[in-house]
Amino acid sequence: MNIDDWKSQIKRGTLEFCILLMIRQQPSYGYEIISTLEKYPIIAAKENTIYPLLRRLLKEGYISSSWQESTEGLPPRKYYSITDKGQEYIAAMSVEWENLLGVINKMKGE
Amino acid sequence: MEKVLNEYLEKMEKYLRPVAVSERVDIIKEIKSEMQELQSNDIPAEQIIERLGNPKDLAKAYLGDLLSKESRFSWNRFLIVCAFYSLVGFSGMVVIPCLAIIAPTFIVCGVISPILTAVKMIDYLFTLGIPYVENIGIFLGGTVTFNPIIEFVISLVVGALLCWVGRGAWKLLALYCKKISKTASNLSI
Repeated sequence: MNIDDWKSQIKRGTLEFCILLMIRQQPSYGYEIISTLEKYPIIAAKENTIYPLLRRLLKEGYISSSWQESTEGLPPRKYYSITDKGQEYIAAMSVEWENLLGVINKMKGE
Repeated sequence: MEKVLNEYLEKMEKYLRPVAVSERVDIIKEIKSEMQELQSNDIPAEQIIERLGNPKDLAKAYLGDLLSKESRFSWNRFLIVCAFYSLVGFSGMVVIPCLAIIAPTFIVCGVISPILTAVKMIDYLFTLGIPYVENIGIFLGGTVTFNPIIEFVISLVVGALLCWVGRGAWKLLALYCKKISKTASNLSI
């Protein structure tokens, strides 16, 4: 039984969805996103996954970014926030996600 | 910032060279921001580096997306392409014509020689007196002469050998061409 392999496939397929949902809740910066994800092992990912993914979402116009100075002693942070296109994307993904959960529940016979 | 962290960023910057300058600066700035954030949480530099992993790998993760989408011009690539075409050009000047001539001529000769000696043999056996048949045969400077039947057998062996070499040359030519086109597509020219 290779559950880890399956888990990493799930992660790959849902990370984008999770990050977009997180950014929709409130504008966040890279390290904040990574450390939030760390709390949930099923979806945890490292810098070398998250930063390039954020950059791709940015290029595709689902999120926007802005550098903001933070309080004294802390570095400026690059905040990501959701765009209208991103909202649409999340809506479409949510439909498919519900669809999948529905199918799985049916398969379980619930 | 500590020296090791600066070195880390410098290394990353080096590996990110294929990325446009403005984007590269932004990437580095973002990583630097995380480093400072971690430092303000009293995390030692060694742990920060351990967390971020190898700078080359981190840079490559950014490049991975980029390279598949757009292949940028670089001198390195340009030189590789030049070297490839020079090599192919020079080797092609020799290899392709040689093999292309060897392959068909050897096969044709391999087929013709037993046919001719067969004609001579038939002429000898049935004493038909076919003109010019005395010009056919295996000549070793006039010291040794062979019986036409033996000549036929020898030419059969030699003919088979010639055909075999010709076929080999043909296969080699095909292999050479295939290899080159495969290398070319690997270089994505």
